[in-house]
Amino acid sequence: MTTPLTMVPSRRPDGTPVLTVSGEIDMSNAGELDAALSGASVDGHALLVDLSEVEYLDSAGLTVLFAHAPRIELVANDLLAPVLTISGLVQVTTVHGMES
Amino acid sequence: MGDEQATEPMSAEDGQPVELLFPGGSEMARRMRAYPWSGTSMGDPGTWPASLRTACRICLTSRFPMIVWWGEELRFLYNDAYLPLLGSKHPALAKPGDEVWTEIWHTIGPMLRSVMSSGEATWSEDLLLPMNRHGYWEETYWTYSYSPLHDDDGVVRGVFTAVSDTTERFIGERRLAVLQDLGSQAGQARSVAEACRLVAETLERSGADVPFSAIYLRRPGTDDLTPAATSPRDASVSPLPGGPGDWPVDQVLRTGEPVVVTDVAERFGALPSGGWQTPPTQAVVLPLAGETGGGMVGVMVLAAGAGRALDEAYESFLGLVARQTAALVNAAVAYQLQQRRAEELAELDRAKTAFFSNISHEFRTPLTLIMGPVEELRTALAGNGERVGEDRLRAELDVVHRNGLRLGKLVNTLLDFSRIEAGRMRARYEPVDLAAVTTDLAGVFRSAVEKAGLAFEVDCPPLDEPVYVDRGMWEKVVLNLLSNALKFTFDGSVRVALRAEDGNAVVTVADTGIGISRHELPRLFERFHRVDSARSRSNEGSGIGLALVKELVGLHGGTITAESAEGAGTAFTIRLPFGSAHLPSDGLVPVRPTDTELTTAAAPYVEEALRWLPEGPESREDEAGTSGSASPSAGGPRPRILVADDNADMRDYLRRLLRPAYEVDVVTDGQAALEAVRADAPDLVVSDVMMPRLDGLRLVAALRADPRTAAVPVLLLSARAGQEAGIEGLDAGADDYLVKPFSADELLARVRATVDRARLRAHHLRWHAAMIESLQEAFFVADENGAVIEVNSAFADIVGYGPEGLPYLPRHPWLPAEADDPVTYRRLAEAYERVTSHGSGGCVVPLRHSDGHQIWVAATFVAVADPGTGERRIVGTLRDVTAEHYLVQRETALAALSVRVSEAGSVSDALTGALEELREVWRARDVTAALWHGEAEPALFRACPATETKIGTETGWLDLPAELRDRLAELRDYPPLRPVASEADGAGISLEHPAGILTLWIDLGQNRPFTAEDQTLLALLTGHLGQGLHRVHQLDQQREAAVALQRAILGPSHLPAGFAVRYEPATRPLEVGGDWYDIVPLPDERIGIVVGDCVGRGLEAAAVMGQLRSACRALLLQEAGPAQVLTALDKFAALVPGARCTTVFCGVLDSTTGRLVYSSAGHLPGILAHPDGGTELLEGGRSTPLAVRPGHPRPEDVRTMPARSTLLLYTDGLVERRRSPLTRGIDQASAAVQDGRSAPIEDLATQVMRRMAPDTGYSDDVALLLYRQPAPLEVAFPAESSQLAPVRTALRDWLNRCELNPTMIQNILVAAGEACANAIEHGHRDAPGHTVRLRAVATAGDLYLTVADSGNWKPPRPEANTHRGRGVALMRALMQRVTIRPGAAGTTVDMHARIPR
Repeated sequence: MTTPLTMVPSRRPDGTPVLTVSGEIDMSNAGELDAALSGASVDGHALLVDLSEVEYLDSAGLTVLFAHAPRIELVANDLLAPVLTISGLVQVTTVHGMES
Repeated sequence: MGDEQATEPMSAEDGQPVELLFPGGSEMARRMRAYPWSGTSMGDPGTWPASLRTACRICLTSRFPMIVWWGEELRFLYNDAYLPLLGSKHPALAKPGDEVWTEIWHTIGPMLRSVMSSGEATWSEDLLLPMNRHGYWEETYWTYSYSPLHDDDGVVRGVFTAVSDTTERFIGERRLAVLQDLGSQAGQARSVAEACRLVAETLERSGADVPFSAIYLRRPGTDDLTPAATSPRDASVSPLPGGPGDWPVDQVLRTGEPVVVTDVAERFGALPSGGWQTPPTQAVVLPLAGETGGGMVGVMVLAAGAGRALDEAYESFLGLVARQTAALVNAAVAYQLQQRRAEELAELDRAKTAFFSNISHEFRTPLTLIMGPVEELRTALAGNGERVGEDRLRAELDVVHRNGLRLGKLVNTLLDFSRIEAGRMRARYEPVDLAAVTTDLAGVFRSAVEKAGLAFEVDCPPLDEPVYVDRGMWEKVVLNLLSNALKFTFDGSVRVALRAEDGNAVVTVADTGIGISRHELPRLFERFHRVDSARSRSNEGSGIGLALVKELVGLHGGTITAESAEGAGTAFTIRLPFGSAHLPSDGLVPVRPTDTELTTAAAPYVEEALRWLPEGPESREDEAGTSGSASPSAGGPRPRILVADDNADMRDYLRRLLRPAYEVDVVTDGQAALEAVRADAPDLVVSDVMMPRLDGLRLVAALRADPRTAAVPVLLLSARAGQEAGIEGLDAGADDYLVKPFSADELLARVRATVDRARLRAHHLRWHAAMIESLQEAFFVADENGAVIEVNSAFADIVGYGPEGLPYLPRHPWLPAEADDPVTYRRLAEAYERVTSHGSGGCVVPLRHSDGHQIWVAATFVAVADPGTGERRIVGTLRDVTAEHYLVQRETALAALSVRVSEAGSVSDALTGALEELREVWRARDVTAALWHGEAEPALFRACPATETKIGTETGWLDLPAELRDRLAELRDYPPLRPVASEADGAGISLEHPAGILTLWIDLGQNRPFTAEDQTLLALLTGHLGQGLHRVHQLDQQREAAVALQRAILGPSHLPAGFAVRYEPATRPLEVGGDWYDIVPLPDERIGIVVGDCVGRGLEAAAVMGQLRSACRALLLQEAGPAQVLTALDKFAALVPGARCTTVFCGVLDSTTGRLVYSSAGHLPGILAHPDGGTELLEGGRSTPLAVRPGHPRPEDVRTMPARSTLLLYTDGLVERRRSPLTRGIDQASAAVQDGRSAPIEDLATQVMRRMAPDTGYSDDVALLLYRQPAPLEVAFPAESSQLAPVRTALRDWLNRCELNPTMIQNILVAAGEACANAIEHGHRDAPGHTVRLRAVATAGDLYLTVADSGNWKPPRPEANTHRGRGVALMRALMQRVTIRPGAAGTTVDMHARIPR
């Protein structure tokens, strides 16, 4: 059984490409995230990865995000904040949606 | 010296001509006149002050050496007389002083300056100035004065110096001092050598005048010179090889004239210089004259110092030195002569004293032997008319006669002597046939000589002409010599020979006797001198016999000489000139008819000689005195007396006197007496003082020195009167002392007193000995070195060492060696130490009997001082406590063994305990037991020192030494309980063990016997052990059954997670009681919880409990609620005897929610500890105990346990205390749970039980049940990534039940996820499909997570795998503590997070 994960590509009115992710990300499905990030059409924009509906993110997912850090921006939630902060991802990419 | 400086004479401005200024024709006057003064700082002489000019004039006209120093530079003006002093410094006219006398300026400069500044004159006396004014460097002495010279204004401008030569006076005084020094030695020397040494020492101090001297002394009566002393003492002067030779000392001795030696250096090289720079070149060899009329005593060499020529004065000085020396040597010679004379006189005096002392003995002995028998006869005749037997009469008279003769002979000898001394001896020389006369004389002695067992050879062939002799005198000469020969000859022969030789008749009396030592030989003929001989037939003799012989021979114009070799014999040779020309004509008489007196004169000699021989006529009289009536000791054996005397008559006499009352043995000298006493000690020794071989005094000393004979009393007899002699005898240790002549009564009285005294003394000793012998305890006395010097017979019995082996030196043979038995050794050392420090001590120790078996003794020691000597002694007794010891040992060992076995909880405990006990009993090194039950290898049990391998488990059979394995195996073949002891180091035995045959070996570990008693004890102990083991084995089996049963009724053996239980039965060894707990898993994650308490305790209560517990469990399983269960139980309990009033807490817990439905049948309230620190009591749902109101409905209550709260259920044993309200115990229990709310549940159970335990332990049954909500999460899943999400879900649910905040939950999820991901990843790599276990435990304040897998993690290396490194970093960041423990079986990750309030 694979960990439930859904990824929805979209585009904001301003043309910004968005990948909305929901579910949990662990080593069983980090590959899917990687593929989705790689395959997203960005047209020279930064890809906005919306993680606000992600309930779990571990080092496997972080590794994928680090790999794509230069070309993505994140939207996170409070649950993910400690992991993103501790891993240092907040320092290499722009993270939105965190209170602190 | 040229006058080149003198150009033209100068004239003084005042017109005074230079001739007047520097008058005279002397060299210095000329020089001064010629000197260019005006060119110097002194200026033209015409300008000189009057004083300077005057001084110059005085200087130049004086014949004393004079100097004028002028001006600041102290310019130097001097006269001719001064020239020699100046030597090569001349000419130095007008030079600055410091340039002239540079080398002594440091001395004279300041003196001159002081004169210049102070204006005061100085004075120096006898200043040594070495000078070469006569062709050699001589010492000269000068006295001079520095006087100030003023100028016309009165200012000091210069110094005037007058010098005078004091050499002659100075040296004269010095030599006089030497002679005085020598003279002062007079009368000090006690010997010539010392005199020479004193002279040499004196001259050594006078090296300036006599740098070297040597004294040669003439050996008296010869012209030989021997070096006696030199100065310096260590001077080594010997002629150079090839030189002119040694000092001409022989020449001087011969001529008596001094000789001057002028080639000293050529003869000897450099002699000691005496402080001069050069060694002596001349010496005088001088005779040392003897006393007036005597020859020279020696020759003296005196070297002359290099500082003076050997002039007439010097020679006469040296002559005086020699004369002084001769005087000192002569004085010493005279002193020595005088000394020798004094010594000779003293020696003569000593000899005379000895003579009188001896002569006294010589008189007193025969006197005693005359007076004694006469007295006896008189008594006998005068007494009760008793008739004296004819034989006895004759015997007594013979003794009197013999001794009368002897006295007569002695008196004659002394008279002869005094006549000779006084020159009144009138000899009548008649021409005799010397061969015939001598042969006749010798014949008289034949019987005596032959009786002595000696060959007697008389070889006197007739001579061609007669010899003029005085017959009487000649008899004495020959008889004396023969008597002498017999006295000192024990083997071989005596030979008399006569020959004509060089106009002399030569008579030789030779023997093969003991000879005379070389140093005694010269004094042989000296009056009063008795040769100290090692051995003789008699010690009698006046010391004048040979002296008389010599005088008598001398009266015949003849000579006598003696030759002797020690051990070979002595030969006397007499030479008598033929004819009568050498004899005074008025003494010549014609031949007379044969002198009939011959035999009369000879008789005393022969008689006396016969008495020296061993088998004397004394045997005739052996029985003579036995008829005597007096018997001093009535009853008992007659005392034994040993008589030692070299005089046979005296021996006979004493024997006769003592026989009636005593057993008498006689010996002839001290040595024989000593041997006789040593062989068999008599009651008394009566001994003469003067005896051959060993005299009386030395006999006493020898007896006293030997402990075996020290107590034998001795009565000394001596002819030497006077207190001194008596004291001497008593000093030596004699018991009494009797002076000859003594009366028979006196002797008998003294003998009786001494014997009685000695018997009394002996009685005391015997009493003492008997007392000690009667002791049943072993008794011994040791000296301060520990040597045992006395033991009694009990000692010999107990220890096996008797008095015959005394002394016993340490280490005593009955002691064990320290290495073999250190305990005994130490005990004895401590006891001995106590004796030393406290005066007494004791101990009980094993000793080794002489036959080898071990004995136990109680030893006591006391330190005492020997009353006789004051020496420290240790007196001790030993009591044989072997039997007691073994009895006590047996009892003790049995008791100890029984205790050990009874205390044991199992057969193997009992066995190991028993082995320990055996080891202690025998102080063994170790005890090993093997249990054989079929298998090849037996089970092992060991008792060995704590430092070694501990009992049993660690040591395997094959680890044992092969020898021990063999022994243990062999023991199986012996019947049980029969001890088998090895030679020296141990013993073994076999016995029946419940599980098979047990063999055991006791290793003593040292050379210690395993005695018969030990074997008995071993059999006894192992017998008990065998029985004990079987008993324990039966108990074991019963107990095992009981325990199995008890455990079956107590409660579940497997608890669901989250629970902890404890049970403490009040009645040991029962493991059950009336209290119980139960946990019953029910469907839907529900759990039934029961804690109950039956009335009473012990087995009965346990039986009731078992039934109730089972019933309760069955009811719960039927899905009944708590109230229902208890209601049903009421009915059941009513049917079970003893079940009434049981209290029960029964609850059903929903473990997912913590909801607890419960009902209490009179049970104590449960305690709920909240995670925030608060507690509450579950007091609801309460009703009466079981079967009190059967059928009555029971209430129920509900309480949902908050997350991480802890529930405690218990019975009253935990909280009920005497004299303390129950609520207090409940509060304490609440506090205990509350304090431990963050501890893991098992730990908490232990904490609560420990904390609540009374000091004396729980007195009632205690049951305790703890539960914490939620129960720990335990998940096991295959190592696949797909498992991560469900595991996460389960964990998230559980964490929610723990009621943690979402952030913490998320953190824990991530950390756990990372750990699980790692486990899965490794699982994929190393063992696909293996299981990963996750366990999560929450307490009130902490959360623990454990993830375990079976793979190996790599150490985190982010650079190699950023992904994994990131995971570990996340874990560490999210949790308080992360521990990763890689192991062979897998990796375990422990994580801990603190839960915030």
